[in-house]
Amino acid sequence: MSEVALRGSEGSNSRVVGGAPQRTALRRWIADAPAAYLLLLPVLILFGFAVLYPLVQTIVLSLWDIKGLGKPKFIGLGNFVALVQDANFRQAATTTLLWTLCTTAISVGAGWGIALLCALAPRQTLVPRVIIFAAFGVSEAVIGYVWLQVYRGDTAGLLNAILSGAGLGNLAHAWLGDAKTAIWCLIAAYSWAQTGLPLLVIFAATQAISRNVLEAAYVDGATPMNMMRHIIAPLSMPGVRVALFINLLGSLRAFDTIYVLTGGGPVRSTETIGYFMFRESFTQFKLGYGAAATLILLAAVLIVSIPAILQRTKSTT
Amino acid sequence: MNGLGDAGMRRRTMLAVFAASMLLSAAPVSAQDVSGDLVLLDWASGSEQEMIKALEDGFTKAYPNVHFKEINLTVQGDARGAIRAALQSGEKADLFINTWPAFRKELADAGLLRDLTSLWDSAKIGDNLSDSWKALGTTDGKLYGITYTYGDRSGMFYKTATMKKSGIDAQPKTWDEFVANFKKLNDAGITPIAIGAKYWSHAEWFESLYEHLNGVEKAADLAAHKIPWTDDSVKNTLRKFAEMLKAGCCGTAESMLANDWDTASDMVFVQGTAGYQIIGMWNNDRARNVDKLKEGEDYSLQQFPAMGAGHDDVSSVDSKEFSAFTDSANPAAADAFLAWVTTADAANIVARAGLASPSNKVDPSLYGPVMRIAAGAVSSSKVQFVLGDLLPGDLVDEYRVQLQKFLQDPSDATIDSVTQAIEAKAATFD
Repeated sequence: MSEVALRGSEGSNSRVVGGAPQRTALRRWIADAPAAYLLLLPVLILFGFAVLYPLVQTIVLSLWDIKGLGKPKFIGLGNFVALVQDANFRQAATTTLLWTLCTTAISVGAGWGIALLCALAPRQTLVPRVIIFAAFGVSEAVIGYVWLQVYRGDTAGLLNAILSGAGLGNLAHAWLGDAKTAIWCLIAAYSWAQTGLPLLVIFAATQAISRNVLEAAYVDGATPMNMMRHIIAPLSMPGVRVALFINLLGSLRAFDTIYVLTGGGPVRSTETIGYFMFRESFTQFKLGYGAAATLILLAAVLIVSIPAILQRTKSTT
Repeated sequence: MNGLGDAGMRRRTMLAVFAASMLLSAAPVSAQDVSGDLVLLDWASGSEQEMIKALEDGFTKAYPNVHFKEINLTVQGDARGAIRAALQSGEKADLFINTWPAFRKELADAGLLRDLTSLWDSAKIGDNLSDSWKALGTTDGKLYGITYTYGDRSGMFYKTATMKKSGIDAQPKTWDEFVANFKKLNDAGITPIAIGAKYWSHAEWFESLYEHLNGVEKAADLAAHKIPWTDDSVKNTLRKFAEMLKAGCCGTAESMLANDWDTASDMVFVQGTAGYQIIGMWNNDRARNVDKLKEGEDYSLQQFPAMGAGHDDVSSVDSKEFSAFTDSANPAAADAFLAWVTTADAANIVARAGLASPSNKVDPSLYGPVMRIAAGAVSSSKVQFVLGDLLPGDLVDEYRVQLQKFLQDPSDATIDSVTQAIEAKAATFD
């Protein structure tokens, strides 16, 4: 058997060569490695510049006490200890948890529901799908300004005008200035904007369901509700998982909407870790402290991401 | 000619060259001698930014070989973070606009600001600005800022039509008259005072109240943390503020916390849904140039009412200054601008924009009625710089957030807890 043929299949290779499979594998690795690494090089360089270097810089920064433009002082893990003891950070962590769970659940839940409905009539629901997805394409800052008009505290605010029009004028108030309602207003605004992506991803998953399965169910007398419950919904789950992963990450890192609508207030009631990090780093310019908060946020993102990455890796190998 | 003679000739030649160079350096630098790019780190916005542009145009008219460039920062709330970020990220400018004495100290301590004391003398800036403005721009004995505008922060803006609608014919002179007017305004469906508490402008009322109840000396001591924030002077001021709130001055806490200073300004000037607003004199600029109101007719300014606590001759003030960076690429042009900005040409540009100029060369006839009230109030008062701008680091953030908590619940228990919280933060800077 020629060398080319031997290289053709790893399984047959070890059987044919018999006593020297490890040597052959090593030889092949040595032969292939330069080309493989050469192909990976651009990505590795980009990864190094865009991810590794800033990450290392952030880690280094987190070990320093930097106040304003004054001289930095090395304090080791002092920033992390201070963060744990900081009541404002603990409040921001609690707000982040509430924010992330709610915005993800609402946006993915709404996107899933609409996607399942659209799956029953794909052609007829094209326009609404595009409209809903378009909101996802609009900048978060612009969305913030749109919702600012909705939540205005005076009668010119859309929400207050609707309430007054419905005879519920006594409920009208400054929604974003009330610590009890501000966070829920933000969650509603952000979830609205984030529904488009789950809709798109889950709808695509429903379109991948084989027509044979649906036709067989139809022939067997399944009602649309049964088909939805037992076929479309379960088979859309891969799309739901992807949407959950993406929206969870997006919610953890959300900033623009909060910045525009409430600036973290009133009295820090809408301050997430992402906003806390911004305030400490760029308003107070405590760069080391902000970097430590960034790393904690990064850890949260990794904890969320690793199961999804592992699952994707497993499914592709 | 012998060697000694040659040496003598060389010495005489060198002396002549030295003398000539000294003469040249002592001669005034002409506008033609200054050239190149002059970069300004500019965070002003709206009509105030237009005024800065007018100053740049005026300067380049006088110095045609200088080309002005701007690094514009778009900011929301306190601009210091954006300025720090720009500097930290390597932006290079010759000049920047500053309004915070505490920030000036931070930059000076970091070695970023150039001492302008010698420029003050060599460019004879003292002919245009009084020594009090020099003192205002001085930190640790060195001059770092040349003031180009200032504001009365104890003046209350109001719209004349709103007062007429509420049946208020004469502006209140005393505190009791002022509080009594709350009912008239509320009865007319108007919130007596617009407070934008979303970020920082709610502190204006606390500060003017504090100075009128306790005097500017005590306010200076509080800013320097020579007295604690748990002092009775602070608590009594908050109790007076609470009386105002309970008298229906400012609408709900939610509406205050939902608004920033600009939306509060719109409530007074555009919508007419609120009576008074205390804010900087840039509001005058905004009323004239953005809201297109006629100064002195459509709106005016009323000085803070007398409280009868023995400190009615006080005013809270702010100022804006140009400072020069130590790593300026064009210090000659920067110095020329800093000297020019105090001249009559520059002062009149500031005055035409509806702002007060500290220059004694300004043409007072350019001031509108509101600006004349403000300038008169400042010149006849004991002044204290805005307290929030004097507080270091994140103490100012804690101070503003705790005042927001006070607005939510102006009870004695809250007064105790917020003063303790500010004091705890202030203690970290001692």
